[in-house]
Amino acid sequence: MNSNRRVLAFVLSSTAVLLLTSFLIEILHFRKSTSLNNINLIADILKKDSATISGDTSGVNSPGIEITKKKHEDFSLYRRAHVITNFSTDTTNPSLARFLQKLHELKSGKKIKVRIAYFGDSMIEGDLLTQTLRKLLQQIFGGSGVGFVPITSQVSQFRQTVTDNYSDGWEDVNFKSGSSKQLFFSGHLFRTNGASVRMTDQTVTDTTANIEKSILCGYGPKQVSITVNDIPFTLKPDKAFNRITLKNDRNKGIKVTVANNQLPVYGISFETASGIIVDNFSFRGITGIEWGSIDSSFLESIEENNPYDLIVFQYGVNLLFRPNDKNFSWYARSMLPVIKKFRNCFQETDFIVVSTADRAFRYGTQYKSAIGIDSLIKVQAALAFETNSCFYNQFETMGGTNSIVDWANRKPSLANKDYVHPNHKGAEILATYFFEAIIKDYQKYVQSLK
Amino acid sequence: MPSFDIYAFLKQFLYDPENPLLFNNGFFVFFFAVFIGLYYHFRNSYKTRSYIFCFFSLYFFYKASNEFVLLVALSAIVDYYLSNTIYKTQDKTTKKGLLILSIIYNLGLLVYFKYTNFFIATANDAFDAGFNPLNVILPVGISFYTFENISYTVDVYRGHFVPVKKFTDYLLFLSFFPKLVMGPIVRAHDFIPQISQPYKITETDFAKGFYLIVSGLFKKLIISDYLTLNFVNYIFDDPSRYTGLENLFAIYGYAIVIYCDFSGYSDVAIGIARWLGFHIPTNFLSPYQSSNITDFWRRWHISLSSWLKDYLYIPLGGNRKATIGTYFFTALIFASSLLVTTHALNLSVITGLLISFSILLLFILPSVIQRNLSGVSTNLNLMTTMFLGGFWHGASWNFIVWGGLHGIALAVHKIWMLITGKAFKGLNNRRWYKAIMIIITFHFVCYCWIFFKAADFTVASSMIHQITHDFSFSVWDAFYNNYKPVLWMMLLAALLHAIPDNYADRVIERFPKIPMVAYLAIYFAFVLLYGAFKSAEPVMPIYLQF
Repeated sequence: MNSNRRVLAFVLSSTAVLLLTSFLIEILHFRKSTSLNNINLIADILKKDSATISGDTSGVNSPGIEITKKKHEDFSLYRRAHVITNFSTDTTNPSLARFLQKLHELKSGKKIKVRIAYFGDSMIEGDLLTQTLRKLLQQIFGGSGVGFVPITSQVSQFRQTVTDNYSDGWEDVNFKSGSSKQLFFSGHLFRTNGASVRMTDQTVTDTTANIEKSILCGYGPKQVSITVNDIPFTLKPDKAFNRITLKNDRNKGIKVTVANNQLPVYGISFETASGIIVDNFSFRGITGIEWGSIDSSFLESIEENNPYDLIVFQYGVNLLFRPNDKNFSWYARSMLPVIKKFRNCFQETDFIVVSTADRAFRYGTQYKSAIGIDSLIKVQAALAFETNSCFYNQFETMGGTNSIVDWANRKPSLANKDYVHPNHKGAEILATYFFEAIIKDYQKYVQSLK
Repeated sequence: MPSFDIYAFLKQFLYDPENPLLFNNGFFVFFFAVFIGLYYHFRNSYKTRSYIFCFFSLYFFYKASNEFVLLVALSAIVDYYLSNTIYKTQDKTTKKGLLILSIIYNLGLLVYFKYTNFFIATANDAFDAGFNPLNVILPVGISFYTFENISYTVDVYRGHFVPVKKFTDYLLFLSFFPKLVMGPIVRAHDFIPQISQPYKITETDFAKGFYLIVSGLFKKLIISDYLTLNFVNYIFDDPSRYTGLENLFAIYGYAIVIYCDFSGYSDVAIGIARWLGFHIPTNFLSPYQSSNITDFWRRWHISLSSWLKDYLYIPLGGNRKATIGTYFFTALIFASSLLVTTHALNLSVITGLLISFSILLLFILPSVIQRNLSGVSTNLNLMTTMFLGGFWHGASWNFIVWGGLHGIALAVHKIWMLITGKAFKGLNNRRWYKAIMIIITFHFVCYCWIFFKAADFTVASSMIHQITHDFSFSVWDAFYNNYKPVLWMMLLAALLHAIPDNYADRVIERFPKIPMVAYLAIYFAFVLLYGAFKSAEPVMPIYLQF
């Protein structure tokens, strides 16, 4: 018996069944079910009703905070790409006046430190983005050194700007492991009874520069004995937050051993006597509201002993952890007091809220920007607007809707296939854009002096 | 109410770079239905039948790769002409000259399209040559049909085979659409005689074909695609963000993905061919059931390993002698091993030399043990075959290292057998011993997959670093909770893989004739499942460590 007829019968009848199903999907309007639409054989050859394909946009327009009408300010400026805005309708004025004044003094030869704290999540992990920003700013305004480095970190192997070898025995307290009101901006504090850490700054290219190597630590016993490069050294950590310089020489590396677990240790800072310092404060998986648990008095002590001229908050990607979330008003409500608290404690500091970068999910068969991203960015802009902070729209700057899909699919790629994280190359581009926005603002400042 | 869009309809017939034709396109359903209708109708007119087949194959090729369809047609013309001339020519030197011409033509095409940029990059990297990279796009299927051309011409030259008289037969052999994109590599002496056979298939052929097509699509579209998108890609993209546990499972996941992808596609090709009356030999035989690496290569991509054996290993001298080729390639491998260690892995020249000499030594060792000097050439030929086999997979050092590692493992296995062969004779049949050997072999194969899949050596070494230095057993609960569907899918794949290879045949034999409704029901259930998985809520990566 020849079964070739069976092949014909099967192929023709299965095709007929599939076609029939496809017609039914169309006629009965099952198109919204992506699972059925995946097997719709005729979807591509039909003119689509626009109503059936445009997504549900409810909830996108409410940022969750009341936007106050202010004279000479325009909230809608947040949509602009490549610009750091303070929402002023007069866009010829610079946005970061105090910070730019410091930059200008530095450029004019004054021996001062201009310190930038860059807060973020996994997007800046391993010194991504900040390493390029630091390099570019130091090239123009001077300074050397990688800034703050936490004692240990899960990505210390991945971070290229510093080599970090630590011995066993450091207890790590952080946002995820337990609560403490005295976590530094890295989100960690470390305690040990005898463990050591050896770090070498890999960013310093000027071999003649003296690099200050300071330990950053919290309040501890009156005298704590440590060793620095195996030589005994005594710390007197009498403030809530202490920055104690251990060495000031041309050496790029340092080894520190601490034998007192009463002392909360944060990390080591590498910096020159004057110039730009960019501290990378990354903590994976957070949204920024975690900072609400930090004591105001502790923040004030940081402001007193390790003052910052510019604080940047770049969060958001972890709010987009479900593909269909569109309402972020809860975030607005919980993040607003956090930024207000920081502004209160750092009165002399300029603030920038950097929007989330693009992140995509798979909707049906295609990767597309998270449908809630516009709504989230509006919330982030409102947070900046209501706290008199500046805003920088990273999403629009990197190319807007679906740019992360484009970045991940490029060859060579600029982002990972999780459609969340720009890779080294991508982060370099983001940093360069941000740097250029600062310089644009700086030029406005210089112009205004004339 | 949606309405018919004539423009969109006509556009479906043209090549779409966003959506090249594969077995899982909606278009393929129509393509195949029309094809089978015509093929069946003209089944007794061999001439018309083969014209139809050629037309549909070339059209498939066009829908898959646009203008490169011309390349396969050109290759068919050139090789058809050359092989016929070789057959007719009496003079041995002319014969050899024509053969060399054919090989140069085919390898030339392959090298130009596949390796130009690689050689430019290597020259720039190693010697600061400063060439500009060319924008060469790899034509679909070129790795497969150039090999088929070569084997055909060589067989004709060797006198194993009388060349086909009809050009369409040759064109069909080369462009036969089921195997065009991802193989298997078919041999002319297996395939060509089947072109002029009556279209006759048994009920078993129908059932087996159906089983191969549906199970192949299941492996490729459900298991492989799901694991790739929801897990494997995340980790391989940025391994240092994840724990060693996640990295290890990503490698297991990739082992499943590459097998399901490759063997799934092969199975569909073999199944479709079977429905059309063509028998193509099996390409994969549950390779992860292998209890040693030699066994693995008898089960993995069989059509490639047997091709390499017949047309590379044996011409090089095989296990009989060393030829000029043996020395040439040995020198080449030594040089590239030195280049890899010093340039890609950034080791010192002395370490590089040391590693390269050790590799050479490893291949010579078995013959020293046996006190048989001719064994040296066998091993050098084996090494060449594995290195070039690795390189066939893609133009990068990663694939060369992958092939090299497998070559070394084959040599080590040989030595192991020489040392333990007699002593362990009793053990080899013990179940527990075999189980241990399967686990070891699987892990070695997985280790090699790291290099196969990782974007570069930095990614590969950071994966290995995470597994060896940052394993974090403690994150298992969180890991399981986040990746539950992924892990169950991996378990399902492992269980399916553990089924003995002849099990499907035995089941099919037991049911003489299954009603058509049952086939349709199974097929339709698969289609619904496919639709559901394609749009399943994606599994998102999370961070397990802080």
